Amino acid sequence: MFPPDLRAGAPAPPQEKTAAVTVQDLAFAYRTGDGALVPALRGVNLEIFPGEVVAVLGPSGAGKSTLCYCLNGLIPHVIRGEWSGEVRVFGRSTRAARPAELAVDVGMVFQDFETQLFSTNVELEVAFGLENLATPPAEMRRRVAEALALVGLAGLGRREPATLSGGQKQRLAIAAVLAMRPRVLVLDEPTTDLDPRGREEIVQVLDRLRAQGRTMLVVEHETEQAVSADRVVVLEGGRVAASGPPAEILTDADGLEARGIQPLASAALLSRLGLPPALTVEDAVRVLREAGYRIDPDRYAALVRSDRARSADGDEVVAVDDVTFAYPRSGPAVRGVRLRIRRGECVAIVGHNGSGKTTLAKLLNGLLAPAAGDVRIRGRSTRGQSVLQLGRTVGYVFQNPDHQIFAETVYDEVAFGPRNQGLAEREVRARVDEALAAVGLSGREGEDPFAMTRGERQRVAVASVLATRPEVIILDEPTTGLDYREQRRMMDLVQRLNAAGHTIIMITHALWLVAAYAHRTVVMRDGALWMDGPTREVLAREAELTEAALRPPPIVRIGLALGAPLLSVDEAVAVLRRT
Amino acid sequence: MDIYLYVPADTPVHRLDPRAKMAALLAVLLLAVAADHPLLPGALLGAVVLVAHAGRAWGALRRVRALILLIASFSTLTWSVFARGTTPLLGPVEVEALLFGVGTGLKLACTIAASVVFLATTSNEEITVGLIRLGLPYPVAFAFSTALRLVPTFVGAGATILEAQKSRGLDVESGGLIQRMRRHLPLVVPILAVAIRSTNQLALALESRGFRARPDRTYYLELRFRAADRVVTAVSLVLIVLALYLRLFTRALRIPGLLT
Repeated sequence: MFPPDLRAGAPAPPQEKTAAVTVQDLAFAYRTGDGALVPALRGVNLEIFPGEVVAVLGPSGAGKSTLCYCLNGLIPHVIRGEWSGEVRVFGRSTRAARPAELAVDVGMVFQDFETQLFSTNVELEVAFGLENLATPPAEMRRRVAEALALVGLAGLGRREPATLSGGQKQRLAIAAVLAMRPRVLVLDEPTTDLDPRGREEIVQVLDRLRAQGRTMLVVEHETEQAVSADRVVVLEGGRVAASGPPAEILTDADGLEARGIQPLASAALLSRLGLPPALTVEDAVRVLREAGYRIDPDRYAALVRSDRARSADGDEVVAVDDVTFAYPRSGPAVRGVRLRIRRGECVAIVGHNGSGKTTLAKLLNGLLAPAAGDVRIRGRSTRGQSVLQLGRTVGYVFQNPDHQIFAETVYDEVAFGPRNQGLAEREVRARVDEALAAVGLSGREGEDPFAMTRGERQRVAVASVLATRPEVIILDEPTTGLDYREQRRMMDLVQRLNAAGHTIIMITHALWLVAAYAHRTVVMRDGALWMDGPTREVLAREAELTEAALRPPPIVRIGLALGAPLLSVDEAVAVLRRT
Repeated sequence: MDIYLYVPADTPVHRLDPRAKMAALLAVLLLAVAADHPLLPGALLGAVVLVAHAGRAWGALRRVRALILLIASFSTLTWSVFARGTTPLLGPVEVEALLFGVGTGLKLACTIAASVVFLATTSNEEITVGLIRLGLPYPVAFAFSTALRLVPTFVGAGATILEAQKSRGLDVESGGLIQRMRRHLPLVVPILAVAIRSTNQLALALESRGFRARPDRTYYLELRFRAADRVVTAVSLVLIVLALYLRLFTRALRIPGLLT
């Protein structure tokens, strides 16, 4: 057996090594409150070898988290259900050891960084696991310092976790696990809830851990992040649908799309053009150049003309004039913002967390009032108007549907807004029917919204705002926590609402969605308006985006390398021509 | 959102062992209620102010200033009017009642101020470790400190939920009591749902981090009981005895002529 750093570049044939983790014919079904069984895994076989980094991809409900929970014994020891098969960690069956005992073998990082931090300061958070292992205090201090340095949090030891950014919290969660020096690290969607800057921070930490030769299993939410893994495992319906090196799995754009996983833009484009596959933007550009592809100027000009046709020239519905706002005991969250939005526009507001996007949006529906400047909706100042009054014109869909769903049935949930407006029950029914039809949930009025999937709950939340028939709809990160298919579905819904005459303002971190759906893009940075213009023009200004800690999506970067920003694979196929 | 009073600093008050500070706090609280005459709570309040100065706790005190002033002046006023004495002063107010009112106001101000100074100079984890060293079982102490950690999370979720429902036209301010309570349902249900989900996740994370993996455990924070701590604790114990003696066995520092 060689230490990890002496291994050759190519992984040795598996049979020569002992697997770190062996999963055999693993099946698991969750037992719900009323005793029913919900199958999650239906026969998974998987081996992870020492020093290997395995990326797991799959749509919602594929069993990704369940698989993670099986690796450190949370299933079957803490989570109830029916289990069959076998999971061995370094030869030890997870059935024989509780998760707490397995903690030195398998470290687990969860998606939700809020609920895996339970200490009142950073150092203590990292020390918590070591305290549980009865580590002597002097050794503990050494390991805490080492773990914090590894994730780049050195010097923040005395901070309260609540005061950290999302990326810092997730790095703290990783440090807290690393301090226990587990031999395998399992991370369940560690970047899903983060903004682009937070994601980048986690990617850097994971790169560092990979370079150290650690054994890791990472459930990835974005296909792009699986590129650097040693192996990609695709889960679908509780089974391993595909497994192999990234160069094999991730270049199969159609296969991924069919399984509900977002294909890489580079792979999708090259496969559409019948060219040899590539994983990265750089490789894709090289392949395209070598094959003699370039952007046809006439076809590109036609594209720009159609951009102009879809830019709205309706009346001004939102007017923001030199608006400044500050939360108590902190600096200005929004400063000197001037913005005009016309009827029928579909505007994306982007920027990292803390750049003032959400504050700006809350100023539009009267949840916040400007400290200086004025916000006018259809010509009337929001000052002196209540949120209830403004709600008739400006609907606001909050990021997390679970922050608003309370009713026992979908019908009552959606009827809440219209009823608050004092409408007669007959009119309320008409509104609910209309709204549920728009989000594709007709016929499900009687269902319990709490029992629905995240994607469905998100659509219930949208319907509950639609039912008040607002002219302007604000959506705060409408696709967070949704898988690729659900994201597409949500954005197609947004597009239909826009086509039906609603003015759309959406806050998002997903720039590929911005490229594909928004006519106009507003970039916020440190509370100020940093860029504002047609999406194609904004996404083409790579240097300015970088200053706002943003990066154009891969398809736009491929286009830029060839001379002009392209917003989707379809566009690229339409304008690229072989010479 | 910052809801904690703790102000990190390196002062003699911060450096004291949490157990010594707990003893001192107990002494101040007992002394404050040991007598009715304003002299004792007045002197105590002076002492608390000096400690606040030494511990740089002014910021924390300023944050609760309004609360202290409100409670102190309200109780001074009401007791001055409603307590009954023997020497008339002005209208329904007698000299003894005024003294009693001022004394009660000072007692309350003193108790709040002392507690705030304690919280401003002692971090949550010091309190937790202090309680463990005083014999509190670890699971109880852990539950206490985790609750403290989760407060900002739930406050944040609650604020978001309120905004989300207000955006859908929820009005919790108007209407009768029953109506208003019914209107809180759209707030209470999501908060409970968030809390339950968080608790489940928390349990998974706890298990994964080796919680109670073995019967023994060590502690990252080590408390050291220094000479200053011994002095503070000894003085506090003497004061606690004195307070009990004053309250139970003498009528010193009471207000003669106050009718009870």
